[in-house]
Amino acid sequence: MGLFVNVLLSGVAQGMVFAAVALGLVLVSRATGIVNFAQGAMGMFTTFIAFSLLTAGLGYWPAFVSALAIGFVLGAVVERTLMRPLRGKPALNPVIVTIGLLVVLEGVAGSIWGGASQGFPAAFSQRGLVVGTTRVAFSQFDVFIVGAVAVLVVAIVALFRWTDLGLRMRAAAFSPEVSQLLGVRVGRLFTLGWALACAAGSLAGLLVAPLSSFSPYYMDLNLVYGFTAAVLGGLLSPAGALVGGLVTGLAIAFVGAYVGSDLQPIAALVLLLLVLMLRPQGLFGTAEVRRV
Amino acid sequence: MLQVDKLSVRYGPVRALDEVSFEARDARITTVLGANGAGKTTLLRTLSGLVRHQAGTASFDGSLLTGRQPEAIARMGVAHVPEGRGVIAELTVDENLRLGTFCRVRRAERRGAIEEIYERFPGLGDRRHRSASSLSGGERQMLVIGRALVSRPRFLLLDEPSLGLAPMITAQMMATLRDLTAEKGLGAILVEQNARSALSVADWAIVLNLGRVVAADEPARLAVDSDLRRHYLGF
Repeated sequence: MGLFVNVLLSGVAQGMVFAAVALGLVLVSRATGIVNFAQGAMGMFTTFIAFSLLTAGLGYWPAFVSALAIGFVLGAVVERTLMRPLRGKPALNPVIVTIGLLVVLEGVAGSIWGGASQGFPAAFSQRGLVVGTTRVAFSQFDVFIVGAVAVLVVAIVALFRWTDLGLRMRAAAFSPEVSQLLGVRVGRLFTLGWALACAAGSLAGLLVAPLSSFSPYYMDLNLVYGFTAAVLGGLLSPAGALVGGLVTGLAIAFVGAYVGSDLQPIAALVLLLLVLMLRPQGLFGTAEVRRV
Repeated sequence: MLQVDKLSVRYGPVRALDEVSFEARDARITTVLGANGAGKTTLLRTLSGLVRHQAGTASFDGSLLTGRQPEAIARMGVAHVPEGRGVIAELTVDENLRLGTFCRVRRAERRGAIEEIYERFPGLGDRRHRSASSLSGGERQMLVIGRALVSRPRFLLLDEPSLGLAPMITAQMMATLRDLTAEKGLGAILVEQNARSALSVADWAIVLNLGRVVAADEPARLAVDSDLRRHYLGF
């Protein structure tokens, strides 16, 4: 029973991190209809910038906030310089560019900070909390992870559902041409979508870094898990990303504890395959109906 | 007033518009007629900035339209109602109308502007929280016209508003358009396949063929020109 509860708790914490990665994928997918394979690498890069700031003597929270802000700017720059010229081109072109960006960012990070694993500090203690007389596999840092991602998801859902800006962003994503005819500055909203996505990726990078071996490649597997979570949630739904992240996190945690940690990536791929075969629109998506 | 002067557009080797010139005045409906491929939709898409022109100019009240982005033209008050009904099906009726208010209506006046549209088109008010995808063809047409009107436009560009509608609904819509231009002093360019119905409401008519203006006159005169009717208007 104790093992089950501990696995459940660690699955929730992991799942929230996957939800943050998934949220970034969802934001770009909603805004521009493409899957950003560089999502993890962009988070990795800004986390390394935070690492440099910490090494230079900046405090944890200033470095943390700086990484989020740099992620926001990086997302905007990538959209304006790499993605904007590809608007109207075949859908595969931007996808391939994001794969190229992933390779470039990992290469540049490796050349600046080295390819070896390093330690990245956590904002709070990573020792399990004590409940009664029992220490559980859920630390103060895990509480922070859950809280930070929950706040992010609520903020994104509120933005889309209750604000004029969110309505403009949804309209621009669903129908860019009609939105332009209504005076919506679609290009700016695409830039904002990428900026928010990259900031979400930075948050994921900062949350994952203390939990894993911190190297230029540490987000690769998390991208796979985040992608599974995003597809599970319907790829367009922020709330779906949260639920998809939790389901993926729990599945990974239980497979790791009861079957074997080597099989965790395979479990994610099996989950992805099951979703694509049984409910390709995801848990929160709706099947497309086409009038003929 | 919207002025078009020797406007030319090419799609590769194809000349879609060839030195098209005309004026469309305020408080009047100018209809643009012609067969499929005549260049009617290209003309409207060029005026609203969706298609780049190669030569000539288009201006509205003295300000150039050509060379501007579509969103900038919309902000000038030139509202384009695209063919194919142009509703954003993933949004609700109310959200579609809210979008129309963003660029030219003050925040405090937006809800009132939307309620005016619901009064004009009561069918939309009853379905304000429903997805736009659930509307019938006629209701969708009301929604896109309502969405254009809620933006408080100074000029309307209407592309095939009767496409796929029953004759009775088409007649109602044309009457609504007639009332709107008279009430609000709006100018409108009406592109239509249904030449008979367009001529019945228009103040001026232009006939395009293969991107060139082949006739421009009062609707009553064009309607009795049997050669023109047979060759270009299909009735």
